[in-house]
Amino acid sequence: MSIEISQLSKRYGATLAVDSVSVNFYEDDQVVALIGPSGGGKSTLLRLLGGLESPDSGKVILDGSAVPAEEEALRQFRMGNGFLFQSFNLFPHLSAIENISLPLVKVHGWAENDATDRAKEIADRFGLVEHLEKSPGQLSGGQQQRIALARAVAHKPGLLFLDEPTSALDPEMKAEVLDLIEELRLSGQRIVLSTHEMGFAKRSSDKVLFLSGGRNLESGQSAAVFENPQSKELRDFLAKVMKW
Amino acid sequence: MKKFVSLFVSVVLSVTFCFIVWVVLGHDYQWELIQPYWGNLFSGWLTTLGVSVAALLLSVVIAFVLTAGQLSDYRVPRFLSRIYVEFIRGTPLLAQILIGYYMIADFIGWDSRFGVGVVILSGFSGAYLAEIFRGGVESVSSSQWLSARAIGLTEGQTYRHIIVPQAVRRVLPASAGQFANLIKDSSLLFVISVHEFTMQAREVNSNTYAAFEAYIPMILGYLLLTFPISMLSRFLEKRYHYEH
Repeated sequence: MSIEISQLSKRYGATLAVDSVSVNFYEDDQVVALIGPSGGGKSTLLRLLGGLESPDSGKVILDGSAVPAEEEALRQFRMGNGFLFQSFNLFPHLSAIENISLPLVKVHGWAENDATDRAKEIADRFGLVEHLEKSPGQLSGGQQQRIALARAVAHKPGLLFLDEPTSALDPEMKAEVLDLIEELRLSGQRIVLSTHEMGFAKRSSDKVLFLSGGRNLESGQSAAVFENPQSKELRDFLAKVMKW
Repeated sequence: MKKFVSLFVSVVLSVTFCFIVWVVLGHDYQWELIQPYWGNLFSGWLTTLGVSVAALLLSVVIAFVLTAGQLSDYRVPRFLSRIYVEFIRGTPLLAQILIGYYMIADFIGWDSRFGVGVVILSGFSGAYLAEIFRGGVESVSSSQWLSARAIGLTEGQTYRHIIVPQAVRRVLPASAGQFANLIKDSSLLFVISVHEFTMQAREVNSNTYAAFEAYIPMILGYLLLTFPISMLSRFLEKRYHYEH
């Protein structure tokens, strides 16, 4: 994907969550990972890229066109992509299958039957068939996140944004979700994710961006950045998270 | 200490209860005294039923308007709804009935006691319902909004498919309580001579001096109206229940 981020800033009250971040990614960067300490700006940057927040200054050019500022155009932009949250954010009053099919029907204008068929098809691929009639409250965290992932990819999004997709899960469930993300990657899905899973970021991402204090402290090819970190902050960060 | 408190409470409640049963059962009933008035009592009960049903429907409409006003993005409707709700909730219903009938209705030349009574009750109950509805909508987690935005739902679709269905279940018990209050509050309409249930019972009492015989049927008559509401609320709560 090509993403040009220039001088992007976003402030919440007194905190500068994203501080003049500039970085470019190119066509052959299929997966981009945002890493860094909690509160470092990963989620905010992801929301700016995904059109869920608007920047205070700076701009993002995605595949040649600027991420719009006006709400209706932003909505159209979000429709074309997919977004996954750390805490799943499924709709608790709907069954799993309705969670997947509702956006297809209401946002993308599919017929009910087609949407249901599509939801079943993905659920089958994600190993969720027996859970489709359950409500989110009856599912484990890993199952909920897989349903949420199914919801995010059901309409074949151009870009998939994953905001710490496994941070709320125990190790076994983490693996289930990471397996699916890896499968999506292998099928050619373009992905931007923020994550604390360094092993996954190192193995599966093409480019990595290290954010701390809202600033781009280091970025580049994943292999190079992980093997040979240039900044002291990144070396310290990696030493800390890799220690155990 | 805890044991002592529960013992004390049990004793006080049991003694009070026994005392009331003793008084009620020990009375020398002369049902023949109110024999000629059963028709009046029944017509009063029907009037109360009519006022209540009409005011219940109208108060829901008023509450929707006020809730929409309070949740509006614009300051003027927000301010006006707020003022209305504060004014209605901060003054006695009795005063509202008197002012509504003798000043406002008189000014515009409307002299249907039933109609004016319904409108005043609705305006009163609508303000309370609006606060309940607003609380329900605001209690739905902001992550639901975020998720809906990410999917590409419009604001209207988000309310319709995501927020309102979740809010409805949460406001059911409090709304049912408010509906029961509305029925009981309709008894105050006797001050503008609406021939409702309480007024008829009072007249029966003053004609016959048979207080027990007049008021016990009245109490049972009100229970007959309020009890189904609490049953219906429980039924709906169960029906719309989902796990969190």
